[in-house]
Amino acid sequence: MIRRALIVVLLIAAAAPLMLAMSQLPPHGSSETPPYTHISPYYLEHGAEEAGAENIVTDVILNYRGFDTQHEVTVIFTSMAAVLAVLLLDPPGRQRAVQVQQPVPVSTVVRFIVRVLAPFIALFAIYVILNGHVTPGGGFQGGTIIGALVIALSLVMSKEDADALLPRKAEHLLQAAAPIAFFVVGLAGLFAWGEYLYFPRDEELRWLSTLMLIIIEIGIGVGGACVLIRIFRAMRAD
Amino acid sequence: MLEALWQNLDYAASVVLFCIGLYTVITKSNLIKKFMGLNIMETSVFAFIVALGVVDGGDAPIMGAGAEPPFINPLPQALILTGIVVAVSTTALALSLIIRIWKQTGTIEADELRELE
Repeated sequence: MIRRALIVVLLIAAAAPLMLAMSQLPPHGSSETPPYTHISPYYLEHGAEEAGAENIVTDVILNYRGFDTQHEVTVIFTSMAAVLAVLLLDPPGRQRAVQVQQPVPVSTVVRFIVRVLAPFIALFAIYVILNGHVTPGGGFQGGTIIGALVIALSLVMSKEDADALLPRKAEHLLQAAAPIAFFVVGLAGLFAWGEYLYFPRDEELRWLSTLMLIIIEIGIGVGGACVLIRIFRAMRAD
Repeated sequence: MLEALWQNLDYAASVVLFCIGLYTVITKSNLIKKFMGLNIMETSVFAFIVALGVVDGGDAPIMGAGAEPPFINPLPQALILTGIVVAVSTTALALSLIIRIWKQTGTIEADELRELE
């Protein structure tokens, strides 16, 4: 009882200053806020011509803030490495015997629906990745869809079939696709214009920077999907 | 203050969501549930920052044929995309640690784990 009262007091103590701060912010939907009047006008006015993509969010994350995103994909890669280190490196003799339960058989309906929907989901994922520069979407979103699709398929398929979806040998290389794509595009900028991750800004070369953005998007999509699949496989212990 | 809060109802909603997450983190003893609470807190922060970028009557910041100002602020969305990816990474790492704890001790209840020591 006292514990419960304490929790309520704590929650109110946490919420009250936050609510006070929220009430003093500029009204929701206002176009007078400093970030909107000082920073984003430049991106909104020049982004589409200068950065190579009509989707300004893509411009910001891949072009203007390219370094940030490069290190972000390294973060996903590192987290996968950490997951593998935690799960696969078992110290001998310290394991408690955990009873292994029989896997529950997958229902026919689930199996049928996943198999019927799979090609459409894959098509949608590819569309999202390749059109990230003109429509909402991009590498991260499409990669997550591919990863989720393969995870769903490996739940309903036999282990051998599921492994064939992404062979071990290809997996090792593809996991690093996102950092590699960034590196390749960055080095191309270094050799052609003398700056790492440089995107050409001229009107004639706009197709080139769009192409560079698409290469990075594909890299992020493939790499993100493979990292998700690897994490899933490590957690399933195979 | 209440009137201003009513105007900023979206922000207030994210505070409520944050408190739900906090409540889950303190009261539940199952580690997976604790981490779900942490994820709810993360989501509330993401929702708050994306809501900050909304402009009344604004369109998605995608140029091209038929795009007309005002556009909403693209910066919070770009920031939160980064945030979501980092959240996924931490979630994966935390879940794998939980699996490891379960393998070694056979339990993922925080109070039972405390007794094990």
